[in-house]
Amino acid sequence: MSGGAGGGGTVYHVGMADLVVANAPATLITLGLGSCIGLVIYDTVAKVAGMAHIMLPESRGAKVEKLGKFADTAVPALVSEMLQKGAEKLRMKAKLAGGAQMFAMPGTGAGSDFLAVGARNVKETTRMLSHFGIALLASDTGGNKGRTVEFCTNTWMLTIKTLGRGTSEI
Amino acid sequence: MLDLGSFNTLQLDAIREVGNIGTGCAATALSDMLSCTIRMAVPEVALVSVYSLSEYYGNPDAIVAAVFMRSSGEFGCSVIFIQKEEDAALLVDLLLRQQFGGAIPSSMPEEVYDSAISEVGNIMISSFLNAVNMMIGTHKHENSVPGVARDMLASILDVVASMFGQMGEMALIIDAELRVDNVKGGAKGGGISSNIIMLPDPDALELLLGKLKVL
Repeated sequence: MSGGAGGGGTVYHVGMADLVVANAPATLITLGLGSCIGLVIYDTVAKVAGMAHIMLPESRGAKVEKLGKFADTAVPALVSEMLQKGAEKLRMKAKLAGGAQMFAMPGTGAGSDFLAVGARNVKETTRMLSHFGIALLASDTGGNKGRTVEFCTNTWMLTIKTLGRGTSEI
Repeated sequence: MLDLGSFNTLQLDAIREVGNIGTGCAATALSDMLSCTIRMAVPEVALVSVYSLSEYYGNPDAIVAAVFMRSSGEFGCSVIFIQKEEDAALLVDLLLRQQFGGAIPSSMPEEVYDSAISEVGNIMISSFLNAVNMMIGTHKHENSVPGVARDMLASILDVVASMFGQMGEMALIIDAELRVDNVKGGAKGGGISSNIIMLPDPDALELLLGKLKVL
């Protein structure tokens, strides 16, 4: 899960439906987001950052084993784990990336609502953030390309790598 | 619902055979399109956590071309035709040469490339699904139009996992490899390699095993 790295502190790979909260210095990485969301919440004063790899918008009250899986369970779980690590809710800020629609399909044939899951993920994650009063400072969502994201507590910037579009920072 | 962890060997063999028949038909369709011999391996059947699908398939950063189709009806499932980018490029090249002779431009616009891959995937997956549905004797099935994507393996399987994640945590995957041998190059060298992956919906498995009389 973690290992040493030069400059960026401990490196954490956040797998599908996982969430990781870490004290600075840390680098949080999620590889290959498609329709999923890479959500980062951080507090620069307490120097705490958390990342979740959200797969779906709503848990619909189901028993959830991996809290990172759904937008409506990942945001509360990230917030409470960050509070435990000394963060304060009023100082929390968020950045997110992902929610692409990888497979472009014309028309509204079978399975099209399955495929619009990226947009629904973005909407529900944004809604949950505003419900918790956390400012969403930047986001890079939609489109039809996958993203690899990396959040470093040295700069508090989210680096996004996209095939054919290179690297950007938000 | 069926407990995915408790399949016996008879059931796994039956599922593998369904994959075999489907892949055989897809291979025949590909062979017709390319006018060459296609080799296929006996499909693998594996139970994989949806959260680690991309690890199961190797390097998450690898660039792949994938065609995705949903089949709805009695036997609901998702099928993906997937190959490394280099292999997809070779396949398109071979296909266009077959259709138009040597008169193809050396560099094609992305749209032509994606459209060709999408059509190959469409024909192969449709053949696959027709054979599978015929074998298990469903009354009707409806295939979606194909969706095509060219991107990191992890991000493509991320979408598949999300779709499957709405239904369950574990996915039964039927994975078959097809190879075109007499071609230079390719990601593995010495030919074009591609995979067809079928993910039956959790409730479709019960129907499948029931129809095959191994439930």
